[in-house]
Amino acid sequence: MIDSEFDRRDFLKVLGWGGAAVALSGCGNTSIEDGKETVVSYVQAKDYVIPGVAVYFNSTCAQCDAGCSITGKIREGRVLKLEGNPESPINRGKLCGLGQASVQHHYNPDRVREPLLRKGDKGETISWEKAYGLINEKLAGVKGDEIAFLTGEMSGHQKVLLGNYMDSLGSGNHFVYEAVAPAVVRAANLKAYGVEMPRYRIDKAKVMLSFGADFLGTWVSPVHFAQQYAAFRKGVDGQRGVLIQAESKMTLTGANADRWLAVRPGTEGILALGIINALGIATGDVAELVKDYDKARVSRDTGVEPSHIDKIAAILRLRSPSLVLAGSAAEGYVHGMQNAEAINLLNHVLGNVGKTIEAPVSVPFPQLAPSKGSTASLKKLNDDLASGKYKVLFSIATNPVFTAPASYKFGDNMAKAGFKVAFAHYLDETALQADLVLPLDSEMEDWGTHVPEYLADAAQINIQQPLMERLHANTRGMGDILLALVKQRKPEEYKAFDDYYGFLRFAMLQNKNALGGAEKDDDNFWNDTLSNGIVKLSPASGALSAKADVGGIKLPAPKEADKQYPLRLIASVTSNLRDGRHTNQPWIQESPDPLTTIVWDSWVEIHPKKAAELGVVEGDIVKVTSRTGSISAQVYLFPGIHPEAVSIPIGRGHEAMGRYAKGYGVNPFSIMDAVFERETGELAMHETNVNIAKTGQRVIVVKDEGPVGGKQMGRRVAVSRSTDQVDLSKEV
Amino acid sequence: MSVTNLLDNWAAVRHFHPIDDKPHDPYKWAMAIDLDACIGCNACAVACYAENNLPVVGREKFQHGQVMHWMRIERYWNEDDREFPDQGAEFMPMMCQQCEAAPCETVCPVGATNHTQDGLNSQIYNRCIGSRYCSANCPYKVRYFNWYDYPTTDNVWPAEMNYQLNPDVTVRGKGVMEKCTFCVQRLRAAEVTAKGEGRIVREGEVQTACQQSCPTNAISFGNLVDPESRVHKQWKAQQVDLAKDEQEKDKQEGGSDLRGYRIFEDLRAYPSVMYLERVRESAV
Amino acid sequence: MKDIREDIAWAKINQDVMKSLENPRPLYWVILFFAVLTFGIGIGCEVYQYQMGMGVANLDNPHVWGLYIATFIFWIGMSHSGTLLSAILHLMHADWRKPIYRFAEAMTTFSLMTAGLFVMVHLGRLWQFYYAVPYPNERWVWPNFQSPLLWDAMAIFTYLSSSVLFLFVGMIPDLAIARDNMHSGWRKKLYTLLALGWEGTDRQWRNFRVTYLTIACFLIPLAVSVHSIVASDFGMSQQPGWHVTSFPPYFVAGALYSGCAAIITLFIILRYVFKFEDYMTLPILKKIVRLTFAIAMVWTYLNCVEFASVWYSHDAVSKDLLIQKMTGPYAPFWWAMIFCGSIVPLVFAIKRFQTNIPVLFATSLLLNLGMWLERWMIVSPTFSHGYYPWTWDHDQWPSMIQWGIVFGSFGWFTLLFMVFCKMFPSVSMYEVKEMVYHRTLHLKNNGTAVEQTVEQGVH
Repeated sequence: MIDSEFDRRDFLKVLGWGGAAVALSGCGNTSIEDGKETVVSYVQAKDYVIPGVAVYFNSTCAQCDAGCSITGKIREGRVLKLEGNPESPINRGKLCGLGQASVQHHYNPDRVREPLLRKGDKGETISWEKAYGLINEKLAGVKGDEIAFLTGEMSGHQKVLLGNYMDSLGSGNHFVYEAVAPAVVRAANLKAYGVEMPRYRIDKAKVMLSFGADFLGTWVSPVHFAQQYAAFRKGVDGQRGVLIQAESKMTLTGANADRWLAVRPGTEGILALGIINALGIATGDVAELVKDYDKARVSRDTGVEPSHIDKIAAILRLRSPSLVLAGSAAEGYVHGMQNAEAINLLNHVLGNVGKTIEAPVSVPFPQLAPSKGSTASLKKLNDDLASGKYKVLFSIATNPVFTAPASYKFGDNMAKAGFKVAFAHYLDETALQADLVLPLDSEMEDWGTHVPEYLADAAQINIQQPLMERLHANTRGMGDILLALVKQRKPEEYKAFDDYYGFLRFAMLQNKNALGGAEKDDDNFWNDTLSNGIVKLSPASGALSAKADVGGIKLPAPKEADKQYPLRLIASVTSNLRDGRHTNQPWIQESPDPLTTIVWDSWVEIHPKKAAELGVVEGDIVKVTSRTGSISAQVYLFPGIHPEAVSIPIGRGHEAMGRYAKGYGVNPFSIMDAVFERETGELAMHETNVNIAKTGQRVIVVKDEGPVGGKQMGRRVAVSRSTDQVDLSKEV
Repeated sequence: MSVTNLLDNWAAVRHFHPIDDKPHDPYKWAMAIDLDACIGCNACAVACYAENNLPVVGREKFQHGQVMHWMRIERYWNEDDREFPDQGAEFMPMMCQQCEAAPCETVCPVGATNHTQDGLNSQIYNRCIGSRYCSANCPYKVRYFNWYDYPTTDNVWPAEMNYQLNPDVTVRGKGVMEKCTFCVQRLRAAEVTAKGEGRIVREGEVQTACQQSCPTNAISFGNLVDPESRVHKQWKAQQVDLAKDEQEKDKQEGGSDLRGYRIFEDLRAYPSVMYLERVRESAV
Repeated sequence: MKDIREDIAWAKINQDVMKSLENPRPLYWVILFFAVLTFGIGIGCEVYQYQMGMGVANLDNPHVWGLYIATFIFWIGMSHSGTLLSAILHLMHADWRKPIYRFAEAMTTFSLMTAGLFVMVHLGRLWQFYYAVPYPNERWVWPNFQSPLLWDAMAIFTYLSSSVLFLFVGMIPDLAIARDNMHSGWRKKLYTLLALGWEGTDRQWRNFRVTYLTIACFLIPLAVSVHSIVASDFGMSQQPGWHVTSFPPYFVAGALYSGCAAIITLFIILRYVFKFEDYMTLPILKKIVRLTFAIAMVWTYLNCVEFASVWYSHDAVSKDLLIQKMTGPYAPFWWAMIFCGSIVPLVFAIKRFQTNIPVLFATSLLLNLGMWLERWMIVSPTFSHGYYPWTWDHDQWPSMIQWGIVFGSFGWFTLLFMVFCKMFPSVSMYEVKEMVYHRTLHLKNNGTAVEQTVEQGVH
């Protein structure tokens, strides 16, 4: 006789049926009977659940702002994997590693699941009604000017709704902050081409000269550019495209260059003028500007050999069209704008404008266009917060406490705002400072529309739709939250909308004709829209103003080495980590950095020559000290960096944000000096000088590469040959 | 279980050697990877994690060399003593080469790794007893052993994260060997569908996860015996013959102006992955 | 000095050996205690490894094999000298083997049993080990007969069963003596059972000799083949440092070498612990020492052959590995192996050391260490420095778990061996009598010896 449940379980365990025992423990109350879980009947499953068969839904990737369209593979109501949507001209069916990893954002075990109200050091779970009530209460009697909104780049109807809410509050304080954004280049482009971000036609170029634009890894729209790059390498008329990259620290793009030039930090503009000089085809103002930039001087200033300048000028003269890009390595200085302008001037001189630099396409709904992020906006917000200007601060899915230079003291200044609301997915550094944390749906549970800043061949509105049911019962979509909040102010105007989905559908259907649905009825149009995941539009016309303006280009001589802080710190942006918002996705943590193959940690890149001078070897823990502070990290000897610079990647060093992010690596923002680009006010990320001291500790660097450090030791593994030894025309 | 059966089966199992008389029919899955197009971005490697339920082992186990990346991107530098790598790095996506005469297959004591009729080097997790001889004999070191029981290890697939697991792919427990399968679950699905329709799998109908994600289309994958497939055309244009341990073009005086090659071809493993050499401009 | 005292009485032989079953010196218990302790530690480590997975051994990809395989070869190698002494020397009528072959044969059996354990310990899925056995099953799934690992499993099993049989058969007359001399109790019952009714009749003796000779003949090629097959585990692979034609003879020589060294160690221990000074005499020890020296030189020669053939082979990868062994992270162990394996045995060439027990004991331990290092240096560097440079390994140091299991195996072996020596006559009584008889035969022929015949029985 078996008397009790326990005995039977033990009995089975004795028989070695450990697994069966666990299953049979269900003879008591299961979590379903307890009411903790619900049973989904496959007899009457929802339309999109076919047991054992995957269904696919189109949506938009939200890991970065490039706006790649994705197709989610869904089985039994769970999203499993994301692929690129082949219909999107931006990514044409492709998806980068970061995009692949966004399922781990969705399923992340460290997501915030309940609204939390600060009680001392702890967060108390409250209901949404109470949270909304609290916001209403705190906003009572607060002037519109005393309310600030901090967001990342935002577009589509969510931006519209946010705008409406802000209007209803009478607040105009919308700060759009992106820690990594090409803000200086935008300004320089506006000056040179009349638009902030033209369309770059890498695929049409025969030669590319990139000044630190990591267009394959991190810059603007990497997946799109990588596809263009593939066409560029295949060549126009059978001639393989040639890529020359000039930068102080090798990026992923630099690692793919035919010629990589290590330029002294900050002298990118000088090199650009030197090349114009060497080309010898400039006239008028431009010729006047570059006349002092002879080879000898440029070589002295930049560290690039004269023979290389000659060769580059020769190939640029010979092969046309070409394309010259100014990237983040050029813009991160006090004179970043001048650098970028000098580089853009090259395109004018080479006659590329209109050939490989084309007018951008834009969506004919300016209210949906993205509000572009910059670092200057955070500076402004920080100054305002410091002066105690704001009583209420809304932070929407941003993490400035992590990405603001420590000298901002952003956390302390944030505390001066009376009531801080963070809409967040995780308890990150910023959410931890908030009074009220409201949990957001992941992008795979939420509705939305997006218009990317960089549009490829056609104007398009990207649709974001839930790929599965909400994972946690008490998270909400940002659109739903905004709708609820705006209803507090203008209940009459919004009473027709039960939820953000209703609002979105209504807004889209209102413009059905303009969105290409004139011949369809409402349901058909809406279903097609969701099914495609993209609304393609005939673009609003744009034009470039092709004038070579040399006014304002005045490049400073390269900086003399600082005696106390002799090395330049390059806080590098890597393709895996970007600004650190994805660090808690384990695939990203374990995906080796492409250049160093390091995982799960930060490192200090030092040129082997410099390392020998300093007496450090790989794995030494060094203290990197700037005027602002110091951090300690492991050394990695990296040949692709200028000996006067050291580099630490940004994105790691989280002190919060869950198990996969917290406590791994260091955050270079914490030692970054607050120096700004002169004209745009953007944070000059490469203007921090540091010194390096050994701490005496040594660790084994956790990396994929073996102890011989990427040498092939005479084995024929990865083979390379030069263009004169190969006949590419025979290839298919 | 008879001796006749043993001998008969044996002949069947060990027949599909490339220099044997029996051709692959109707499939021989193969790959071509263009190192000039590969930018080393790691998208393929992450896609592989997503598709094939690869565990994230964490910092400590990574340090001990127990990482499970079926596809790894190697980064090589030029070996001469230049101050800077001024021609960039060489990226090398490396995964199981699905050798035709695979060194791993002959040494497995229980026959857990076998050659399939469509030219894959298969790994049968159920049969594997974990002797690791296959990995010991692999020249490319692309086999990965489950040193721990990852499904029950903390923070590998904690609650919710496990919802992402692909139901078409086994989650491997401790003590078995695993490796790149050429996304066999996708191949089988496509083959079965095609068979039902009385045809063979068409070019482009099936993609591996790495190929699908690759932003530069550096990876092409397909049926090598299908003259319409891109892989077939590439192998043919590069004059790389699956069943040779030294290609005719390489015997020519002065070498060849084609850039297709296979790694360690002389070991006579007859790998199914052809690489195309990286190219660098001689004018700059 | 003679191999054995010729005036030793047969009754005394019985008495001395039977005494070893009753009261050894106290050191016996000390050794047994440490054996149990280390074995216990080994068991603990294995249980932990079984629970957690092989990762706790600090093996990795590509360094998938480590000390387990190295120690496995070590134990297999050790088993060879037992066969050498008991079977080969038996056929060659080397009389001096008689007092010592029994424990050597026991050593063979137990080291094989230890080696067999490593096959298990090494498996990632120990609970599925039987997949490697060609057992009848309804799916008609066979193991892979192409795999040297399978050959290995079969060879070891055959060798082990033959060795056990050989040990047992050779012991039957002595078991009968033990049966007749043991006071009543469970041991007497045990001996009665095992003696299989031996009465020492003429017919029994004749059958016994034929059987013993047959097994001996069978065992010799088996012993050679077993280690050749272990060598095939490596030789049949495609890896640099392993794919060496001379591996089978090299392994066999190494096996005999380490086995002889182990025999010297155990000889000295047993001689003291069980007070066998009259039987395990210094002249016999001297003979073993000389034999060991000869084998050491053969091993050294084969080493040189291997290095030379790699060096001049134009196989760049293998040559690179050889250089790496000499200069890389394994260099200290590699040079220690050369020192222990080729330099230390030179001590044996010096006559006065050939019977110096402390020196021989220390030397034999060093030789064993050297041979263990040899196996490690065969296994590990190939993983750390194989074909594919990207995966060359820098973190290959075995974990405490791995070391624990390796040491545990020594505990297990010592435990089995010590229990055997206490349970069964570890000196062959009847053969020692034979030896004395043979030695005194010439005296008898000279008309001075007492008339005695073997045929009358050995009681």
